[in-house]
Amino acid sequence: MIELSDIVVTFNRGTPLETPALRGINLTVPSGQFITVIGSNGAGKSTALNVIAGIIAPLAGRVGIDGIDVTGWPTNRRARLISRVFQDPKMGTCEDLTIVENFALAHGRTEPRRFRFAIDRTMREQTAERLRLLKLGLENRLDDKVGLLSGGQRQAVSLLMATTGNTRVLLLDEHTAALDPKTGAFVMELTQQIVADLKLTAVMVTHSMAQALQVGERTIMFHRGEIVFDVAGAERRAMSVVDLLALFKRDQGEELSDDALLLG
Amino acid sequence: MSLYEILGTVQIGLVFGLVSLGAYISFRILDFPDLTVEGSFPLGAAVLATLIVNWGWNPWAATVAAGVAGFAAGFVTAWLNVRFNILHILSGILLAIALYSVNLRIMGGPNKPLLGTPTIFSMFDGWHTPAYMLTPILILLLVAVVKFALDLFLSTGIGLSMRAAGANPAMAVANGVNVGHMKLLGIGLANALTAFAGGLFAQIFGAADAYMGIGVIIIGLASVIVGMSILPSRTVVQATFACVVGAMLYRFAVAFALDADWLGFKASDVQLITAVLVALTLVGQSSRSTMGRLLKRIGPR
Repeated sequence: MIELSDIVVTFNRGTPLETPALRGINLTVPSGQFITVIGSNGAGKSTALNVIAGIIAPLAGRVGIDGIDVTGWPTNRRARLISRVFQDPKMGTCEDLTIVENFALAHGRTEPRRFRFAIDRTMREQTAERLRLLKLGLENRLDDKVGLLSGGQRQAVSLLMATTGNTRVLLLDEHTAALDPKTGAFVMELTQQIVADLKLTAVMVTHSMAQALQVGERTIMFHRGEIVFDVAGAERRAMSVVDLLALFKRDQGEELSDDALLLG
Repeated sequence: MSLYEILGTVQIGLVFGLVSLGAYISFRILDFPDLTVEGSFPLGAAVLATLIVNWGWNPWAATVAAGVAGFAAGFVTAWLNVRFNILHILSGILLAIALYSVNLRIMGGPNKPLLGTPTIFSMFDGWHTPAYMLTPILILLLVAVVKFALDLFLSTGIGLSMRAAGANPAMAVANGVNVGHMKLLGIGLANALTAFAGGLFAQIFGAADAYMGIGVIIIGLASVIVGMSILPSRTVVQATFACVVGAMLYRFAVAFALDADWLGFKASDVQLITAVLVALTLVGQSSRSTMGRLLKRIGPR
């Protein structure tokens, strides 16, 4: 479960460039729910994700994960509860380490190994078993450096890494945006499968309205640092991209200027 | 070169192999250009000499103490960077100049001779084989143990976290690694190795000297670069081996340059030769430059 209460974030506070990024956000994502987040550039969706992950400290408000108040926790401490897949495939994996070493590192997030060997036979077998899910033959390349993999392969590996161990909350930051359409679809399908299998609480930021409605069970939209609407259930199932746009225009009383929201 | 000279070069090369392993941790693993070593190398020597001469310590205990002192120096450098966001290179410079004064304080003067005092090499006294043949063997054993221990450490959970912290800090943090702690530990470790080498060097050389740290940083770096450009360094085990071999090769290159009368070098030209050697290797690695392509064509690869 994720709970954001009255989160306020202001960039460049006290300077002429002062920008309110989040204006008192309240959001509760119950355990096991998969929500999608949309909004134009600068709407605050990535900022909200960074507040949950602990990369940005809010000016005011409280962040709760599975009932624990994590507001003061640094990112690395929150990693025990939260895992994340970044937009850039290079960010989620460490290219100088081998595939199995990357998995061992991700495994250490919930079960640190400290002075014991990071990689043993169990780790190799578990890694190979998970990689078989991808059907890319990576289970035979455990000792290859991740830098040798393609962007799509790396993103698929990042996703598997992020869902290893006991993590309950998964944050996805436009994780298919940098991939070609076919690979993107593959990674998205894998995401839905894993989130469903492991009953994860997941938050996915996306630039594509179609994707936002197809994936997950609830959609929220950010605009100018506020959540402008929140749909789920039957209402959401009946919605099309056109309806979503109409809703957006009604709420904002303005024309949508960001092409990126319409395309894709 | 005579056998005596060759063995002398081997033993100094091996000692600098430890400095090279330190440079591998700081420059390669943590991506932290650490200049502290210019101060921690003589620090190790100063601590060792003072403990043996003034305090009557056992030379082995004093050698270990030298390493501990180096760890403290590196820890402070990393702490200045992690806690106060002082630029890594500047933190290292600050420590290096501070240690110059600290070393003078420790020794109570610019140098401290170890003549006639016990060293870890005194155990060979009374053996039939001459010391100049046994000393390199003992150093080889020590370096092999350190290299092996470092390989093991880097394959533990913490070692893996350290490698990730240097290679991709954002990803490491997202996977629960405290990058700051890894820098404190890693830079401490790198300087512990350097000071340990300083302690060994003082025992071979027969004295600790406040000026013996000049150029250590570039020797360490040169060894890493030379080693890794010649030998494979895909895995940690290969990379640490390449570092030690690189230190040895570098030492031989310098020895040959000084030995060749037709080149007209003097012993005081060592630093210049080092700088040129490092520059040439770096140029050779960047194949984009004309010089680089030229060196690649005439080089072994």
